[in-house]
Amino acid sequence: MARPDAPANRPGNTSGRARPGLAERGLAEGLIVAALFGWWALSRDMPSYILPGPLEVARATGQLFTSPEMLSHTLASTLRVVAAVLLATVIGTGLALLPERFPILRVIVHERVQPFLNSFPSVGWAIVASIWFGPSNGTTIFVETAILVPFCLVNVSTGLREIDREMIEMARSFTRNRARIFFKVTVPLLMPYIVAALRIAYGVGWKIALVAELFGTESGLGFLMQRAQTQSQAGIVFATCFAVVIVFIAGEKLVIDPLARRYRPA
Amino acid sequence: MTDATSVPADRHARLAGHVFTLLVLGAWAVWGLSVQSYQMPGPLDILRRLADFFTDWRELRHMFISFGHIIGAVALSFVVGSACAFLAFYLPRTRLMMHGRLTPFLNSFPGIGWIMLAIIWLGVNDLTVVFVISMVLVPFAILNMREGLDAIDAELMEMGNSFTRSRWRIFRTLVVPSLYPFVFATLRVSFGVAWKVALTAELFGGNTGFGYLLNLARNDFDTPLIFGIILIIIAFVYSTDRWVFVPVQRRLARHHGPA
Repeated sequence: MARPDAPANRPGNTSGRARPGLAERGLAEGLIVAALFGWWALSRDMPSYILPGPLEVARATGQLFTSPEMLSHTLASTLRVVAAVLLATVIGTGLALLPERFPILRVIVHERVQPFLNSFPSVGWAIVASIWFGPSNGTTIFVETAILVPFCLVNVSTGLREIDREMIEMARSFTRNRARIFFKVTVPLLMPYIVAALRIAYGVGWKIALVAELFGTESGLGFLMQRAQTQSQAGIVFATCFAVVIVFIAGEKLVIDPLARRYRPA
Repeated sequence: MTDATSVPADRHARLAGHVFTLLVLGAWAVWGLSVQSYQMPGPLDILRRLADFFTDWRELRHMFISFGHIIGAVALSFVVGSACAFLAFYLPRTRLMMHGRLTPFLNSFPGIGWIMLAIIWLGVNDLTVVFVISMVLVPFAILNMREGLDAIDAELMEMGNSFTRSRWRIFRTLVVPSLYPFVFATLRVSFGVAWKVALTAELFGGNTGFGYLLNLARNDFDTPLIFGIILIIIAFVYSTDRWVFVPVQRRLARHHGPA
């Protein structure tokens, strides 16, 4: 596949630069500056419940991380996402491994459970869980986990299909201890796919976290956002969105990326 | 996928699948009988409710409106996303702006945020729903089309350039045909994501569509309708994927090689 950062031989590209040049950088950062400026200019003539200015939003976003009451909402959402991602990775990996150990379950896992979970609408889970369990922390985590499991299942199954069968064959010729083969050979080979599953689950998890919190709880950023919307506080709606983006990027850079580097596919 | 499994093992797995389906239906029926119907309606309750749904035009109408929202948003986001990807392709100076700034921003902005903002800006109507779905889909379209454009063989382009200087001709005869598999992948991904977003968008920002109906049903404790709608969606998403997207993709793969 063509490298995206090697734009040589492209139509309309005569210079064949490999790294972003000054003009390219200028356009990219210019877009941000222009967007911020345009936002500021637009917001000056508009009431703040329709379009709050960048400064107001920045202040509100800051509060989400500093004021104790707001921080508790941010933390609640983060902890739920982390719990759901871990649970979903474990359950998804477990489900993916089942047909490996018991081939008779292949159709059940891949043609019944996976398509079912995959096409179940996320709002559906949110509504159904609020009917079953009422509002609680567990409800939100359940909803998020239910949405994330199929993503993990698909990823780890792909990994299982692509790992080198000969390696397992070789391991079998060394020992008949299945647990030993599993932990010494299968798991290390699968690690890159499990990390990829973790990454996808984490990304999707943050996207649906707010949806999951709309019915099921009385805390978290989703709850905060809905309250702000009914009170027409557009500033807080914006701020919760940016808070999600910030926490998401921080988690990816601080946790997921190092993990992915550690377990890079051989 | 089934290359390693022998025929009898495959048949056993298939049988196990059917047994599993029946067991789940049975367990569901028992569960539905043992709790209140508003908590967990049994399969029969839902079938009865679905029969009402399909014969009552006032309810059925919402299904077609949801289709409309989704088709509109998939088309709109495909056009916008492709335009962005082509811009970055033909004007390399805008690449970093497009792929390094705009796409990641759109990609990480939560969909529910667009819903809340669109309600404030546009009000509760069809426009809000289509706008929200499109905003969520555009980054998917840009990412997919970009991958397609990046995968175009540079030598092929060189050859094209040596035959004609007409860019339009190269675009029509080389670029577009080699993009087919990616166009298709874009539509497939968009369609899958659109369903999920559409419900949320309609629930909060719409006064029509399945999502709106779900909200009504939730307020009325009409749980059979909630499950009925969920079942329709599952059936629809699953069957379009299985009987439309997968066969077409197989066909494209045969024509275009593994893309």
